[in-house]
Amino acid sequence: MTQLPTNRMEAWRWTDLAALEAARSTDRGSAPALDGLWIEGDGPRLVFRDGMYQPKLSTPGEVSVEAISPATAHPLGAVTAGDGWRLTLAAEQTVAVIQIVHVATGGENHLPGVIELSRNADASIVETFVGAGWTNRLTTIRLAEGARLTRSVRLLQASGFVSLREEAEIGAAASLASIFLGAGKAASRIDGELVVTGDGGLAEMGGALLTRGEQRQECAVTVRHSALDGASRQIWRAVAADRSAASLAARVDVARGAQKTDGEQSLRGLLLHRTATVNLKPELEIFADDVKCAHGATVGELDKQALFYLQSRGLPQGPAKAMLTRAFVADAIDRIEDEAVREVFAADAEAWLNEAL
Amino acid sequence: MLRIEDLHAEIDGKPILKGLSLTVNAGEVHAIMGPNGAGKSTLGYVLGGRAAYEVTAGSVSLEGDDLLEMEAHERAAAGLFLGFQYPVEIPGISNLHFLREALNSQRRARGEAPLSGAEFLKVARAQAAALGMDAEMLKRPVNVGFSGGEKKRNEMVQMGILDPRIAVLDETDSGLDIDALRIVGDGINRIMRAPDKAVVLITHYQRLLDYVRPDFVHVLADGRIIRSGGPELALELEREGYGAIAA
Repeated sequence: MTQLPTNRMEAWRWTDLAALEAARSTDRGSAPALDGLWIEGDGPRLVFRDGMYQPKLSTPGEVSVEAISPATAHPLGAVTAGDGWRLTLAAEQTVAVIQIVHVATGGENHLPGVIELSRNADASIVETFVGAGWTNRLTTIRLAEGARLTRSVRLLQASGFVSLREEAEIGAAASLASIFLGAGKAASRIDGELVVTGDGGLAEMGGALLTRGEQRQECAVTVRHSALDGASRQIWRAVAADRSAASLAARVDVARGAQKTDGEQSLRGLLLHRTATVNLKPELEIFADDVKCAHGATVGELDKQALFYLQSRGLPQGPAKAMLTRAFVADAIDRIEDEAVREVFAADAEAWLNEAL
Repeated sequence: MLRIEDLHAEIDGKPILKGLSLTVNAGEVHAIMGPNGAGKSTLGYVLGGRAAYEVTAGSVSLEGDDLLEMEAHERAAAGLFLGFQYPVEIPGISNLHFLREALNSQRRARGEAPLSGAEFLKVARAQAAALGMDAEMLKRPVNVGFSGGEKKRNEMVQMGILDPRIAVLDETDSGLDIDALRIVGDGINRIMRAPDKAVVLITHYQRLLDYVRPDFVHVLADGRIIRSGGPELALELEREGYGAIAA
């Protein structure tokens, strides 16, 4: 097996590798119920238990399950080689919202996924992670000209560690919009490298990480622009309670020829308790001279003035804090276009807030 | 209804209120006027229950209950409304959502059934219309992008929806043009002029008092009330200035 990274490596210094080690050495147990995890809709549904496809629980539609040997240099992504899932759509093809539920029961499980959309194809995939143990995923995405993919991923594991690696190539006028919600109790690392290779491509990767207890979650995302007129958006929100830590590292690289790139990067952290930590690492590296890259990075506590305003109208402190925190998180979650999906993600965030506050 | 006795309060160790006493009975409108720095806004915040202000002596009771023992939200449920001089902008929360949660929190605290979405919407629309506020603004995030006048109007819409027993309105007239002043004044009269309600108007200028006729006018200077009288006192202040009265 490949050597795991260590905290001495700059790109992994905030990763809770101790949680990963502890999670992988747990024993397999029973699976949590899947009821209530499905979002309404008649699109394909797939269940993977400990990384193994569950045909009796699945209606795979356009998704196939097959051996995949990913070409990645990523240390955790490379571990996933083996059977995985693949969605290949022909030109102009569209499918109903695809849902994948990953159930883990302990120990470690690895699974690769491939999404290949031909010209002007359109797909939307929702993934949900529940259970325990170390869950490790690599998703390789290739979008041809004009293809459109939306991804909504929620991490709800009750314990353990979830590592996700996304590698995407975005062609001309294609768009990838992926939103992540970390609202479980597992440690996590959401790791991505999106490359805009065609003119006018759009790359979006953002989300909300909600941490509490001793939990540590992080994102480490790079968007590379190598073509003209590209756009990218990285809107991340971190909410940290108790003694937890949330870390947001986001990077935009604009190559010499990638003129007229329009990048937006917004990293904001909210500390619910003074003992919590939010780390932010915004990076921009721009070699073209005609680009727009808006960026902002802030960490703070709830605005006391706003809190008193809500309380003075009759809201007790807990609900008032929850309301302000929800609004803070909404910046990221409201990026989900599909209303049914957005509402489910908002409800997950709400449930987290009700427990954490 | 509201009884303030020998109230002393400070912020960051600095005394602001230095022995303020005031009794407001049901059916009365009291205006509190005074120069900048007299402690007018502090009085509003202390009555509203803002944590940063520390009461060091004195007492405040609302309908016989100890107001100072209550949390800010309990004061609201007990019927106190604080109109802010600078209403706070809250991105990401719609007016409607905020007010429905606020009203229903108050109702639950009082043992009343919460209003359904439809019931609430009816009340909210009626209050917005009465104050000349576009119903679309109810859907917008609280005060975000509102002009100064729109924010004050929104305060009055909130007051109308929450229907308090006593309103403490801090400089509700600032930032209003003549037309808005009349609408807000009419709103205060309509919502609060009742035998079982009362208003404390904290203001710097006499002009709002042309629309909301006070029964009593008090001059606040250096943390205590130095003179009380009828509506004529406001006119005297306007004519002669605070300096002459406070001297």
